[in-house]
Amino acid sequence: MEEKEEKRGLPRWAETAVVIFKIGLFTFGGGWSIIAQLQAEFVEKRGWITETELLDIVALARSFPGIMIVNTAVMMGYTMGGLGYAVLCAFAIAAPAFGVMICVTLFYTAFRSNPYVSRAMLGVQAAVVPIIISAVLNLRKTAIRDAAGLLIAGVAFLLFLFTEMNNIYIVLLGGCAGLLVQTLRLRGAAAAQGAGKGGDTDAANPS
Amino acid sequence: MLQTLLDFYLVFVKIGFCSFGGLSMIPVINEEMVSHGWMTLSEVTDIIAIAEMTPGPLGVNAATFAGMRSAGVLGALAANLGAMTPSLTVCLLASVFLARVKGNPILDRLMFGIRPVCIGMMVATCFTLLPNYQPGGAGISPAAVAIGVVALVLLVKAKLTIPKVILVSAVLGLLLG
Repeated sequence: MEEKEEKRGLPRWAETAVVIFKIGLFTFGGGWSIIAQLQAEFVEKRGWITETELLDIVALARSFPGIMIVNTAVMMGYTMGGLGYAVLCAFAIAAPAFGVMICVTLFYTAFRSNPYVSRAMLGVQAAVVPIIISAVLNLRKTAIRDAAGLLIAGVAFLLFLFTEMNNIYIVLLGGCAGLLVQTLRLRGAAAAQGAGKGGDTDAANPS
Repeated sequence: MLQTLLDFYLVFVKIGFCSFGGLSMIPVINEEMVSHGWMTLSEVTDIIAIAEMTPGPLGVNAATFAGMRSAGVLGALAANLGAMTPSLTVCLLASVFLARVKGNPILDRLMFGIRPVCIGMMVATCFTLLPNYQPGGAGISPAAVAIGVVALVLLVKAKLTIPKVILVSAVLGLLLG
């Protein structure tokens, strides 16, 4: 590790930025491969953050709103070096994608009306609904675990498709529903245990 | 111009706060871009394809593309800053209080409700995007439907990666279109 630092001669923040920039530039195919690389570079190779810390961060990054990878970068950066690193890592992971996309979009504008491109894109557009369906199928098991989840999804589906309701409200409603359902369930379970054991809610085995 | 950029930024803040990873951003982007008249349904569909094919986080790619198409490079910048605002606020705050947030039951319970909402919105978006199978509004294109079916099979049964499926679909589009 000393050798590597001598070779680079970069201050830690710069090295962080370069590594993250490279990951952001060369990783295709989504969030999880980026996370695997972050783990390889910062946990295994440099030990600047522990595996547990990173895993906890990823769990939170998934649970919070926003772009998961940027969430991860912000929290990982903060853990490694505070506020400055948090912002640095966020922009470092986004910058290469931003740059590449600007170029791609310029080409897109030029070529989209080309008849060959149009035909190819017609095919691609036909694949988009299946792509979303496959994403739904992949996420379905973790997202919807029971009838309550299904009901919430169904209501969200209807609200989104058939009403003008602001999406933030739909999300908030879902959150409240989840809070309500789970809290009631836990209370119900505690009450059931309490009834079995005379009020001792610590009981692991209802007799 | 500045007002548009500000609007743009705020819309993407909203998009950021309504999305919870990956493609869950798409329903909201779709609705916002089309309702504001910044993009057409066809262009929004292109977002998904292009954002999947380029390196880096999908959300950044989607925001950049939408921003560029609607309002140039500054628009792309505004869109990204907007989409990154939840990260730079909520997550930063969470980092500061990490010990208290980790495994917090309130967060878990909220997510129990929010995750199904994302699923519901994504399924709803599939219906919104059905016009893709009637290109130019002319009537259902059997070629498009066929490509859609092939794509579905490749994704779900053959478990091909999304970029590969997009490539196959593009080739089929060239051949059958």
